[in-house]
Amino acid sequence: MSMVDGPTPLPEAAAEQAAEDREAKSTGPGTSVTPEKRGGRGIFGSLGERWNALPRQQQWAFLIVVVVLAYMLPLINPPIITTEPGNNFALACFDMARFALIAVGLNVVVGYAGLLDLGYVAFFAVGSYCAAMLTSPDSPFLHIPYLWTIPVAMAVTMFFGVVLGVPTLRLRGDYLAIVTLGFGEIVRILATIIPAMKGQVGFQNVGHPPGTEADGTPIFSNSNGVPWYWLTLTIIIVITLLVGNLERSRVGRAWIAIREDEDAAEIMGVPTFKYKVWAFAIGAAIGGMSGALFAGQVGFVNNQKFDVTTSILFLAAVVLGGAGNKVGAIVGGALVSYIPLRFTAIAEYKYLIFGIALVLIMIFRSQGLLPARQRLLAYGRTAYNKVAKKESSAIPGGEVPPAGRSGLGKGNGKGVQA
Amino acid sequence: MTLLELEDVSVHYGRIQAIRNMSFTVNEGEVVSLIGANGAGKTTTMKTISGLLNPTSGKITFAGDDITKMKAHIRVVQGISQAPEGRGIFPGMTVMENLDMGTFGRKDRNGVPQDLERVFDLFPRLKEREKQYGGTMSGGEQQMLAIGRALMSNPKLLLLDEPSMGLAPQFIRQIFKIIKEINKQGTTVLMVEQNANQALAGAHRAFVLETGEITHSGTGKELMANPAIKEAYLGVG
Repeated sequence: MSMVDGPTPLPEAAAEQAAEDREAKSTGPGTSVTPEKRGGRGIFGSLGERWNALPRQQQWAFLIVVVVLAYMLPLINPPIITTEPGNNFALACFDMARFALIAVGLNVVVGYAGLLDLGYVAFFAVGSYCAAMLTSPDSPFLHIPYLWTIPVAMAVTMFFGVVLGVPTLRLRGDYLAIVTLGFGEIVRILATIIPAMKGQVGFQNVGHPPGTEADGTPIFSNSNGVPWYWLTLTIIIVITLLVGNLERSRVGRAWIAIREDEDAAEIMGVPTFKYKVWAFAIGAAIGGMSGALFAGQVGFVNNQKFDVTTSILFLAAVVLGGAGNKVGAIVGGALVSYIPLRFTAIAEYKYLIFGIALVLIMIFRSQGLLPARQRLLAYGRTAYNKVAKKESSAIPGGEVPPAGRSGLGKGNGKGVQA
Repeated sequence: MTLLELEDVSVHYGRIQAIRNMSFTVNEGEVVSLIGANGAGKTTTMKTISGLLNPTSGKITFAGDDITKMKAHIRVVQGISQAPEGRGIFPGMTVMENLDMGTFGRKDRNGVPQDLERVFDLFPRLKEREKQYGGTMSGGEQQMLAIGRALMSNPKLLLLDEPSMGLAPQFIRQIFKIIKEINKQGTTVLMVEQNANQALAGAHRAFVLETGEITHSGTGKELMANPAIKEAYLGVG
C-alpha cells in the first residue's frame, strides 16, 4: 500500500512546487477557461486569475514577502490588527497558526477526499494526550524529549485514523459524518473515564522544546508565544509543501475524483477505499501534530478542551476558507481563531457569528473565500500536446471545428464513417 | 472467442433478489444488448460486471480469468470499462480532466495520445469543449464524455449503461452510430437499453431481461421479429 505507486509528480508540477497557492487557480491545457461554477466570481476569484498571470519571479518575490511578514507578525504587532490589550498578540498568533495547521489537515479529509469528518477534534486530542503523557511529570509513562513527541503523536494519530477509517470509510456521506461525530465523543469520554488519562485533573507541565534564555528561563515558555508561533509556522510551510505535492500527484487526483463521484472513480480504476483511508490517516497525523504543539505551548492537557463544538469550529475554518484549497484552509483557520481573540467583546457570541457567517458564505460564495481549483491532468497533458501538435501540422492554420447546431455537430459524421 | 461469461449469477440488495441465476456470454468483437423495462435488473447487471456490486452466487469469467471476487478498480486494469448510468461524469472537472481520469488505471502511458485522438475523432464535440466543466454540459455531451472517458482506459470490453437515456431522438441515432464505430475499431460492447429499437438494430446478439431473468435471447434481428417482444418493447402490435 504505497502512496507513491503512481507517477511521481510531473516535471512541470515539481518545478511549480514552490508556487504553492497557485493551485487555487488553473493553468494547463485543460483548465484555462474561466471557471463558471467554481470561483471566477467576485474579488477573490479574479485575484486568483491575476496571480496566475504574474511572471514566476514576481510570484516568488510576493511569496517571500508574505512569508517574511508572516514570521515578523508577532514582532511587528500592528496597531489595528493586534489583539491586545485583551489577548497577548504573540500567543494569539500561535493560536491562529495552530488552527491553520488543523485546517490544513482537515482540508485533506474534507476538502480533497470529500469525507465529512465531524470528529476531527479526536485526532487533535490524541495528539495532545500523546505529548502530555510522554512528557508531563504527572504521567507514569515513559518520558521522552518533547520534540520526539511530535512524530510519535503523528504516528499514533495516524494509527487511530486507520483504525477508525478501515471500518467506517465503507460508509458514505451522512453515515460517515455520524460515525466520526461519535468517535470524537468517544475519545473525550475515554479521557474522562480512564484513570491513567486523569480526566479533568489532567497533566501539568507538559514538556517543551529545549533551549533557555540567558537568564535561565526556557525559550519555549508558556507565556511567550513567539517561538511557538515560529515553530508552528515553519511546520505549516513544510506540511503545505508536502500536501501540495500530494495534491498534484496521482493521490491528489484520486482524492478529487472520489470527492466528485466515488463510484465513477472506482470504475476509472481508482482504489477508492485505499485512498480514502490514506486521506483519513494523513489528515489525522496533521491534526495530531497540531495537538502536540498545543499541549506543549499551553503546558496543560485535560479533557475539557476537546468537545464537539471544537470539531465544528475546525470544520467551519475549512469551509470558510474554501474546502479543497490549502491556502484557503490556512486563511480560514487563522480567521476562525483570530476573530474571537481580536474582538473580545463579541467573543462570547462567536458560534452565533460563525454560524451566520457560514450561512452567508454558503449562500453567496459556497466554495469558500478561496475556491479550490486543482490541476488534475497527468497523462492527459502530454497526450493532449501530442494530439494538438499533430492536428495543427495536418491542417494548416489550424481548423476550427464546425460549430454543430444540432447537438453532436457535423464533425461526428466524420468519426462514424472513418 | 468468449470474452465475458456469466454463469448462474444472482445478485441481492439485502433480501431482495435483483438478478436470478443469470447466464450469458459475450464474444470478442460483438455488440451485445440487454434490453428490459425499469426494474428488470439492467443496471444491476452492469454494476455486477464492472464490480461495483458483488454477486451472491455464480461466477463471472473475463478473458479466461475468474473475476467474481475481483475489485472494480482492478477490473478496469484487466480491460472492463463502464460508462455509468446517468453519465456519472465528474461535474467539477473539465472535459480534459475527465478524460484524463479515464487513464488512471492504465499501465501503458504511451498508448494514451492514441486513445485521446481516437476519442476526439469519435466525439469532435469533446475537443471543442475540452476546457468546459463536465457539469455544465448538455445531457448528450455528458453522455459522449462518459463514453469517451471509458474508452480512455483502452478497454477490451466497454459497458454502456443506457447510453440513450434522456436524449433526443437525433442524439440517440448518433450515439448508436458511434457505438457501432467503436465496435468496428475493435472494442467489444455490452450495453443495456430501454430503447429496444436502436439497441436491437445495432446489436449482433441481444437478451431480454425481465424481473432479473433472461427471458429471450437471439440475434438482434430475431428478437426484433419476435411478436412478444414487438408488443412489449418495440411499441408495435
